[in-house]
Amino acid sequence: MQGNEAVAEAAVKAGIKFYAAYPITPASEIMHVMAKKKDIKFVHAEDEIAAVMMAIGASISDGKSMTSTSGPGFSLMQESIGMATMTETPLVIVNVQRVGPSTGMPTLPSQGDVLQSAYGSHGDRYPIVFYPNSVSEMYKYTIESFNAAEENQGPVILLSDGFLGHLYETVELDKIDYKVKDRKGKKFGTGNRHYTGLISKNGIPMTKDTKVYREWIKKVKERTEKIAKNYAFYEYLENEKSNTLLIAYGITSRVILPLKEKYSIFRPIRMFPVLEKELKKISEKYKKIIVIEMNDGQYKKEIERVLKREIESIPILGGSIHLSEIKDKLK
Amino acid sequence: MNFKDYLKIERFPSSWCPGCGIGIVVCNTARVFEELKLKKEDITVVSGIGCTGRAAGYFNMDTIHGLHGRAIPLAEGVKIARPDMKVMVLSGDGDLIGIGGNHLIHACKRNTDITVICNNNHIYGMTGGQRSPMTDKGIKTITSPYGNEEDPVNVQGIVRANKRFFARTTTFHILHMKSVIKEAIQHKGFSFVEIVSNCVENYGRRLGFKNAYDMLLNFKQTYKIVKDAKELEWDEIGIIK
Ligand SMILES: Cc1ncc(C[n+]2csc(CCOP(=O)(O)OP(=O)(O)O)c2C)c(N)n1
Ligand SMILES: [Mg+2]
Repeated sequence: MQGNEAVAEAAVKAGIKFYAAYPITPASEIMHVMAKKKDIKFVHAEDEIAAVMMAIGASISDGKSMTSTSGPGFSLMQESIGMATMTETPLVIVNVQRVGPSTGMPTLPSQGDVLQSAYGSHGDRYPIVFYPNSVSEMYKYTIESFNAAEENQGPVILLSDGFLGHLYETVELDKIDYKVKDRKGKKFGTGNRHYTGLISKNGIPMTKDTKVYREWIKKVKERTEKIAKNYAFYEYLENEKSNTLLIAYGITSRVILPLKEKYSIFRPIRMFPVLEKELKKISEKYKKIIVIEMNDGQYKKEIERVLKREIESIPILGGSIHLSEIKDKLK
Repeated sequence: MNFKDYLKIERFPSSWCPGCGIGIVVCNTARVFEELKLKKEDITVVSGIGCTGRAAGYFNMDTIHGLHGRAIPLAEGVKIARPDMKVMVLSGDGDLIGIGGNHLIHACKRNTDITVICNNNHIYGMTGGQRSPMTDKGIKTITSPYGNEEDPVNVQGIVRANKRFFARTTTFHILHMKSVIKEAIQHKGFSFVEIVSNCVENYGRRLGFKNAYDMLLNFKQTYKIVKDAKELEWDEIGIIK
């Protein structure tokens, strides 16, 4: 199965009821598979803003929903991510990354939207972001994305890239372990709740009340911190002989895997909130930490921020990645 | 049920300026709900952003207040997910026809079974009186200080391009407004109701109207009710379907 197909099939397993999207390479196959699912409401929307807004409407009124896109479409969705946050609406957004800015290098793979996935929308938010590195992981973490969205009552971003999205691998579906969290709460229509992007209390807008805002944002922050603990996914390959720790995620972590013979490797799967506690513990004994990623050091900045020490960066830009190039840079 | 049961009466007086037309639209929409004996569980109101965007919050049922320009796709998501519900969009002219114009075209194309009510006050009310896509040619606003050089959007043309239900009414013609909203709700498929409305603070005042009454009187004198027309002239109100 292909990475993108795995996302679609897993969404069905997770109990998705509504899906809307707008075509974009390298994410379109998710849409192609969803289009054929007769039991799922499917919309080929007029643009990514409509797609994500429909998904929000469907999630509020009925149940689990998802949309998928690549960088340009993800940029269009940013305002709506804020709306899902403010209205506390579970929602899964998949971003199969390609090289940007703008139309960039259509449609070579990239990891250039890592920071955008956490910081792209305006205002303070605490999103949960996952980034798997294989087709079977795409399956598993699609389901975990739905679970986290339900539990945290908000949007979850699932990152992929052009490589992973188009990668074909054998997947043993019955060997993937997961649990599905069901939708809870009152049926839409039976109450008088006002779902609004305005800060509000009991459905009444409180747009001049600093206290209400502070209480709300604190609640969201603490809830995310607490719930993210249940989703602290990562992989750590320790090499006793190494005093250097390589950090890589997504497709990059696949490419550098042979380097485990020489180095220790840490691979975050939950990208945000950053695995601060785990990283602090693991990184202690390493003299050098190097982040290898297909962008100009985006996640390196995050690691620097949480570890408060200098981190080295190997940026792999322009849509192609070779182990030999990385090895040269490590010398 | 009484029309008041469909409204969050405890939230009144509303946040709208004295003399604003939105209250007339909200109140009469609730009266139509009453006349149609709709159950609160079966209806929802979705709004965008703007003065009119605040309307959803005054309805006493599960309602949604979305993003500027995005009320239509938000409502379509609800309708597609929950075809058992009556879904109504209540929003402003800038919201539905300006920033959200693309969604309007495509909701018409999809013929999603929702009713869109556009409170057309010809202006960006909430942000202080900038030109809207429905501002008439020649009108001075704070972003067209020398007079609007452009024609307003032909929203009837957009809706009728796919032969969808289009109606126009005004905040003066209350009985007409109610009958139009009623027919729009009962119509199977997409329906669009343009309600010519009074924003005295950020529009009428600058045109020389002294108060809302003068504006309403102007609607009375300007707009003629027509029946069985194929197309509404700019000064006609009625239903085309
Ligand atoms: C993306 C975005 N751009 C701009 C705004 C600012 N804004 C809020 S309401 C509005 C205009 C509303 O006009 P209209 O839809 O006609 O509603 P009215 O206030 O006249 O009822 C604008 C430009 C916003 N909230 N969001
Ligand atoms: Mg307006």
